[in-house]
Formats: sequence, C-alpha cells, structure tokens
Amino acid sequence: MSTTKSNIIGTDRDYGSLVKEDRVHSSIFTDESVFEDEMERIFHKTWLFALHESEVPKKGDFKLLKLGRFPVIAVRDENEEVQLMINRCRHRGAQVCEATQGNAKSFQCWYHGWTYNTKGDLVGVTGEEAYDKTFDAKEHGLTKVARVGNYRGFIFASHSKEGQSLDDYLGPAKKFIDILIDASPTSEIEVKPGVVSKTMYRGNWKQIGMDGYHPHYVHVSVFKIFSKRESTTGSAVGAIHLEDPFADSSPSLTRGFPNGHAALDFRFQRLPHAKDNTAELQQSEDGRKYVEDMIARYGKEHAEELIAWHGDPHLGVFPNLQLIHDHIRVVIPISSSETQVLMYPVFLKGVGQEINNKRLRSHEAFYGPASNGSPDDAEIFERVQRGLEGDANPWILLGRGINREKSDSDGTVSALISDEITQRAQMQEWKRLMTED
Amino acid sequence: MAKQIVNAAPEAINKGVVSVEQQLRVERFLNYEAALMDEHEYDRWMELWTGDDITYWVPCNSDDQDPNTGVAIIYDDRPRLLERMMRLKDKAAHAYRPRARLIRNVSGVVPLSVRGEELEVVSSFSLGEIRTGTENIWFGKCHYLLVDTSEGFRIRWKKVMLLNNDEAMPNLTFLV
Ligand code: FES
Ligand SMILES: [Fe+2]
Repeated sequence: MSTTKSNIIGTDRDYGSLVKEDRVHSSIFTDESVFEDEMERIFHKTWLFALHESEVPKKGDFKLLKLGRFPVIAVRDENEEVQLMINRCRHRGAQVCEATQGNAKSFQCWYHGWTYNTKGDLVGVTGEEAYDKTFDAKEHGLTKVARVGNYRGFIFASHSKEGQSLDDYLGPAKKFIDILIDASPTSEIEVKPGVVSKTMYRGNWKQIGMDGYHPHYVHVSVFKIFSKRESTTGSAVGAIHLEDPFADSSPSLTRGFPNGHAALDFRFQRLPHAKDNTAELQQSEDGRKYVEDMIARYGKEHAEELIAWHGDPHLGVFPNLQLIHDHIRVVIPISSSETQVLMYPVFLKGVGQEINNKRLRSHEAFYGPASNGSPDDAEIFERVQRGLEGDANPWILLGRGINREKSDSDGTVSALISDEITQRAQMQEWKRLMTED
Repeated sequence: MAKQIVNAAPEAINKGVVSVEQQLRVERFLNYEAALMDEHEYDRWMELWTGDDITYWVPCNSDDQDPNTGVAIIYDDRPRLLERMMRLKDKAAHAYRPRARLIRNVSGVVPLSVRGEELEVVSSFSLGEIRTGTENIWFGKCHYLLVDTSEGFRIRWKKVMLLNNDEAMPNLTFLV
C-alpha cells in the first residue's frame, strides 16, 4: 500500500495531457494544486536523497531534514545505523527535535515530556500509570521513514513501503555518482555537518535542472571573467581548460537515464585534457601526491580519467538531488513558486589540505547567493516564473534535438550538449509518477 | 559584533580607545563607505581598500565559520574582489540588472583597539533592498581592520556577519 492512497487533497487532473513528448503545459509550474499533488505523488512516493552518511559521523549525531512534507530526523543510533524518523511526537504531534543538527542520546518532546531514544523507541512516558493496561509504549515509537537505502554513503529515503529498489531506481546513473566519490584516492568523500550554502529563488522547483543550452547566455559575464584570467586554474581538481564545453561542436553530451535522471556528460570532452590537468596538479606537493595516490588506487588509465573529470558528474537524480562540480545539491520545493536549494561542498578524503581548499574556493566562486554563477541562474528562474504566470500561450517547448537522440548500450539516450534531452527525461518521469495508480 | 563589544568592555567602552574626534572620523568613514555601496559606486568603493593582502569575508552558516574548513558566502582576496567588481559593473550579469535600490543605516560604531596606524572597529547595519518588486531586509554586523593614512581611513580587512547566514537566502547581488 503506498502512502499516496491516503491522498485527500489530490485533484483528478489529467496530468498525462499536460506533458507531451516535446512540450509541457506551464500550469504545472504555477498551479498550487499541482504542487500539492506533486508532494503526494512524487515526493511521498519515489526515492528522495536524504543526506550523506558523513553528515552524522558519530553515534547520536543527528540532522533535521525535510522530505516532501515530512520533517525528518536523521540520526546515527547506538548500533551506528542511520535512522530516518518522522519528527513528530506520537502523543499529540509536536516536533521532538528543534535543533537543526547536533548530538543527542535521546529526544524529549517538550510538550508533555515523552522521550525517544536514537532508534526512535518510546522509552519514557510521563505519568505512564494514568494510561490503561492496553497502552504499549512499544507501539508508539517515532514513525520510521518507510524505506531507506544507501549507495556508497548517499542515503536515500522513500515514504512508500513499496516500489522499485534503490538499486533499480538509480540504475545507470550510479556510475556517475561514482565519478564524484572516486575523485578521492581513498574512494571516500566527506560532507561536513552544517557546512552548506542555503539559497532560495522565487520560482518552481522543476526549473532547476541539467541545462546545457543556457550557459552561453545566462553565464556570459562569467565567461568574460575567465577570458581575462591569466591562469586557467581554479577548478576543483586540475585545470579548467579554455575549450568551450558547451559548444555543440564539442564532444560533450546531454544524457537521459531511466527514472528521470539526467546528466551533462562532459567525460569525452574532458578526457583529452587529462595530461594538462595532471601537469597542473604536479606543480604543487599536495597535487603531486594526489596524482600518485590516484594512480596507486585506480591504475594509471582510470586515474587519468578521474582526474580529467575532476569529480564533476553533473548529474541530476530525480527529483531532489544534483551532483554538480564539487558539491551535492538538494532541491527543496516550498510551494509552486518558491524553492530552496542547499549546496553542500564535498571534501575529498585522503588528500592534502590544499586540494580541498582549492575545491572550496572554486565552489564559492560559482555557487552561493553572492557568487558568479548561482545568482544569474536564480534570477532567470524568477523571470521564468513571472513569465509563466501569463499563460496566453501555455506550452513550453522542450523539443530541442529530439530528432538527433541516440540510444546507448547502457539504456541511456544521449544527444548534443545544448539538446533538451535532460528536460525531457525529467518531465517524462514527472508524468509517469503523476499518472501512476 | 555584539560579542566583540561585550568582550571589549569595560576598557574600550568606558574611556574608549580613540578620541571623540577620531570616533566621529570613523563614523563618517563608515557612512561614506555605506553610501558608496548603496549608490553602486564600485570604483570609488574599491579605492577604500589598501594593500595587496586584503580580505573581504562574509561567512556562511555561523559568524565564526573557519574559511579553511567551511564554505563562505564571500571570501575574496584582491584578485577575487576585482573579479567581483567586474561582474557588479557588467550589464550582462542578469542578477545585477536592474540594480537593487539600497538604503542602509550604519550604527553601533565602536573602535575596539588601536595598534599604530591600525584600528579595529565594529559596527552594525540594517539594509533595505528593493528590486523587481520584491523587498528584502538584511541585517548584519561588520568587523573592520582600518588603516589611518594621510588620505583618510583605508580598509585592510572586512568581515560581514549576516544575521541570516544560516538561512536560505535570496540573491545577494550587491556589496555588504
Ligand atoms: S505532544 Fe509530545 S509529549 Fe505530548
Ligand atoms: Fe547555470
């Protein structure tokens, strides 16, 4: 039984008719009742990214999340397992935890003093004798999120008891997640508790996506800055070369995966620069060591690939996760016209301080509310939202490159970097979930 | 800055570390800086900075987030700050056009310590922003290292602690 069966605010709208192969109806971005349905049919049903396990490194470490409409506590319990529990007292429903992160032995509800341990068990009921004999504390533990899955430290959650496994859900997108993790010579990344840049824009959550068509226009001021730089250095690990990765003549691809995942696939474009990147790294001690350790771990050929890709999978995992450049990005829909975007810089384990420091500064340069990149994206999303409100001609076109899609052996489809394959993949999954029984 | 003032009491508060005239000079300088920022006078604002080793720092998550281990909203040295100026002035930087209309009030100016020509000062501001029909209100505390030169004060180091630095914030496309 999926939780969507308790849909009490849903509408009977025919979502199938609002999403065509090459276009979508703009009401899905602006109508608040569509948003309500999205919460039920997408966010309370499919897999959502919750957190990276390094955010709660020690027993008792916790972090508050929002998964769909549910406030959730993620906590590492006494057996070192990460529990995801609904932050809602089983007595009268108060949140039992208000601190956004920290360490706790137990969670006490301050309304009437009920206490839960880190496994969510109800371990203390104030004045328990007043309840009759049939009251069993065991039945009133914090509600667990229905399913939790872990892919290499990325913890995902589903509010639905049934549905495809996380493994099937991620499918071929997994090897793109690997690109981020394997930028570390020990195959371990770290997301530091509480280190996150929190931004918002006044626009729909579906605007934010893998879009290889926009950089030449939205980020033109950044390209001007890059062109004035003496050194091309400044990327996560290795050099940013001057060749344009967003030109259709480049070997960059857009890629669509099953289940709505999508990527800007820069692998083929970056590979020829492996030697330059390695040479750039070898100019410093930490960089030299990094190259050595990568080769020792992955072998020369794959290490060179990984260094050329510099940990940037540029992957969108539908509906709420993106792995871009050197950060994990979480998309939190607040309403049809307001979205929060959390950007967690990823630190590599097993590398010298200088490598992570460079990643951090390069992250700040492009991402965050006062950076070179994010503000122009947010500005455009807000312009889109204002434009969409006027739906005289309500269809939005996503057909770019539809006739030059290629199917690849791993079950994905690809096309040129400016093609709207990524948007089509995301919207087809949106349609699948919104129309599913 | 409140914390810095609390810690500096009573010495820096009772008697003060500078004369009343010097205090007024500092206040006029910070109000001038605020006016340049409000008016988007970037070249003239840039002239207020001195030396090659400058830092313009807006921490994220907490006022004391270490920029070596945590992310910052802004952590500029001179080259990065010059690139920021380029974008602030660039018509193609969409988030900066149309420009925000800004008014800030600078208050709570307290010199904390003096070392030769260097003056450590804290202040606070409230800032109203209007852009494309939306109004935002920003609050922050500033911590400065000023140098008293023959041309007036110059900034060597500036840290801006936004009240909402751990909240989801909209674009911050102006100087704070
Ligand atoms: S609501 Fe939590 S103890 Fe009553
Ligand atoms: Fe962008």
